[in-house]
Amino acid sequence: MDFALNDDHRMLLDTARAFLEKEIDLTKVLQNTKSTVADTGYRENWKKVTDLGWPGLIIPEDFGGSGLTALDLVMVAQEIGRVIAPIPFLGTLAGTWTLLKAGSPTQKAAYLPKIAGKGATMALAVCDANGNDEGPRSDTKAAKAGSSYRLNGSKSFVVDAATADTLVVAAEHEGRRGLFLVDPKADGVRIEILPWRDVTREVCHVTFSNAQAELLSEDDSTIWPWVRDRLLLLLAADSAGGLDKVLQMSVEHAKERVAFGKPIGAFQSIKHGLANTFARSEATKVAVMYAGWALAEDNEKGPISAAMAKSYATDGYRAATAQNIQVFGAIAITWQMKNHLYFKRARSNGELFGSSSSHRRRVLALAGRELSGNADSARLH
Amino acid sequence: MDFDLPAEDDPRRSGVRAWLKEHPNPTADELLDVGYEVPHWPPPWGLSADPEFQLIISQELQRAGVERFGNLLSATNLGPALLAHGTEEAKEKYLRRMLTGKDRWCQLQSEPSAGSDLAALRSTAVRDGDHYVINGQKIWSNAGSSDYGMMVVRTDPNASKHAGLSLIIVDMKSPGITARPIDIMSQAPKDLVVRMYETFFDNVRVPTSNLIGKEGEGWRLTQQVLQAERMMILQHMQKPTARDLVMGLVQTGRIDDPSLTDEAASLYIEGEVIRLMNLRAMSDQLNARRPGPEAAIIKMMGAPHDQHLNDFAKRLEGQAGLLPGGDAFEGKHTHLAVSWDAAFWDSPTLTLRAGSQELMLNVIAERIIGLPRERDPSAQGNWSENQRALRAEK
Repeated sequence: MDFALNDDHRMLLDTARAFLEKEIDLTKVLQNTKSTVADTGYRENWKKVTDLGWPGLIIPEDFGGSGLTALDLVMVAQEIGRVIAPIPFLGTLAGTWTLLKAGSPTQKAAYLPKIAGKGATMALAVCDANGNDEGPRSDTKAAKAGSSYRLNGSKSFVVDAATADTLVVAAEHEGRRGLFLVDPKADGVRIEILPWRDVTREVCHVTFSNAQAELLSEDDSTIWPWVRDRLLLLLAADSAGGLDKVLQMSVEHAKERVAFGKPIGAFQSIKHGLANTFARSEATKVAVMYAGWALAEDNEKGPISAAMAKSYATDGYRAATAQNIQVFGAIAITWQMKNHLYFKRARSNGELFGSSSSHRRRVLALAGRELSGNADSARLH
Repeated sequence: MDFDLPAEDDPRRSGVRAWLKEHPNPTADELLDVGYEVPHWPPPWGLSADPEFQLIISQELQRAGVERFGNLLSATNLGPALLAHGTEEAKEKYLRRMLTGKDRWCQLQSEPSAGSDLAALRSTAVRDGDHYVINGQKIWSNAGSSDYGMMVVRTDPNASKHAGLSLIIVDMKSPGITARPIDIMSQAPKDLVVRMYETFFDNVRVPTSNLIGKEGEGWRLTQQVLQAERMMILQHMQKPTARDLVMGLVQTGRIDDPSLTDEAASLYIEGEVIRLMNLRAMSDQLNARRPGPEAAIIKMMGAPHDQHLNDFAKRLEGQAGLLPGGDAFEGKHTHLAVSWDAAFWDSPTLTLRAGSQELMLNVIAERIIGLPRERDPSAQGNWSENQRALRAEK
């Protein structure tokens, strides 16, 4: 047993932090209240991280990637969350994981090297208009047309669709939900970037009218849960990094801002609140590392630990961003301060791929099954 | 990174199992001599066992139904303080009897007017030849059932608040000591780990050789003892946990009750996260790393977590929960040393003992995240003069 980061993890983390702190600049967004994701440097930033090899982090070396694990990925994802880096990381990873799990050898060979080597981007369209990501649903239907398929319908809350070179789309086919590869530039595909409050993420609505598609998998019932667990980890890690950062901002401010003759951090109402958030931040990091480890090891605890990490991390992140605004005072509600970007990213992380309470429901069901099946281990461990 | 706990086939288990097979009902001396009473202690008392091996030994003892003889307080705080700072004679005289449970020990720290602000204590020890004469009052210990006490007293009233304190062993049978049991709100002392007493010291004579460490070192040593107590409290596993709650909900068929789901799941997740924090602390120790801030954090998170957990379980009983002897999941949790009911009525103490919640939050805010320290105007200068000045002000 060893919970500490090894040297490789440290290096990955330090490199990511140094790079992001130098390269990510949100000034342009903060200068204009009309800013959208287009002003955040989404594509330019992606070019930079492509040079670092990030698109291929989890792609096996055989396909030109670095072959890293979910746990390794946590190191980078936390740092991205710390500076809320606007890049199509989530979409590309979602597509990559789906390809890794569902793709034929030919499909993997066709897509993965382009992602790893050239920074080709992807997006995964699974949610319906209500934000529901479990299948099968009839919002998008696939029909066979010769050797390929045609898609009709729409998908909502598709992260990174507008930047994506390839879309993976979940669509109903013969009573099951299948997965399909779609070229976003093909006829019949319309992508609309949503006025998502969190401008550090590109979130889109995608409509298909007779759009041509290539079959990836006829049935996603074992694929989607596997991919979802990894997406939950990614959002949890992003939140852990953001939470740590807003706490740090709050603490620094509380040390400097003077009111009633002393730094506001000397008042217990402020310092106790921040001490609680510090504990939450430390605990969140451990929960995220554990989930990363469990998924990397294909441990049976993977699914439950990912759901725990997502709900625990995003809830803590949301609370910390609200506290952060309270500690900074009214100045923090102005557009030119960064505080609101974190506040919005935290909401965004909380709602994407299922709310905290929906994941808690799953956690309880899984825990109940595990504990009643193994009462002895519950007591001893 | 590796989050695995010692496996069922861990080779270190076989030795423990073999010994327990040969000694199904070990005597206190046998258990101490084989090193399983205090495995974390260095030889000859323990095995200098790392946390994993400690866990293995605890699990195997529990499985074999063998209980340790000494109490946790002795094994984790009082004993180590004696081991590290006691004289050779004292170690020889007390340790074996302490660890085999032949002598029972208590910790004499809090006073009626010195709780969170422990260093404000007023009990005095005045030198008289080769004895100290002790006067004062202590509270919140199991003095009434103890043979010895480890007491922090003011030996130098003219030193500053913290510098005038010393740590000393008191024979609880000494003339001049009166221990009165305190009736506590839970009304169920048999369910509690210790019964609480208030203790009065009236010209109690204690040999100066009973001093632990040097005169004036009392505060530093007491801090170490308290640190250990915080770790001890979080390692105390006889009480209901969030896992027990989920098991109880499964067994009573209430796991699917939508009005309970979200809160129960939140408790479960928080319980698991605190468990991971505990394991991280253990891992740091195991890999000889400087301990992180976990101990303070775990105590600070764990106390309100347990309160919430017990409150939730009590609510499951509805009106019947106000009647004595009831239980959220009656008869379902035989392994628990403390019932859900007793745990609930005892739970207000969780955010008070071994460092109040407010104190823990101050420790984290000031020592870990570096926020401004609270100033204690009574900490500077001559303690007695400060007290006189205070009284004059009133």
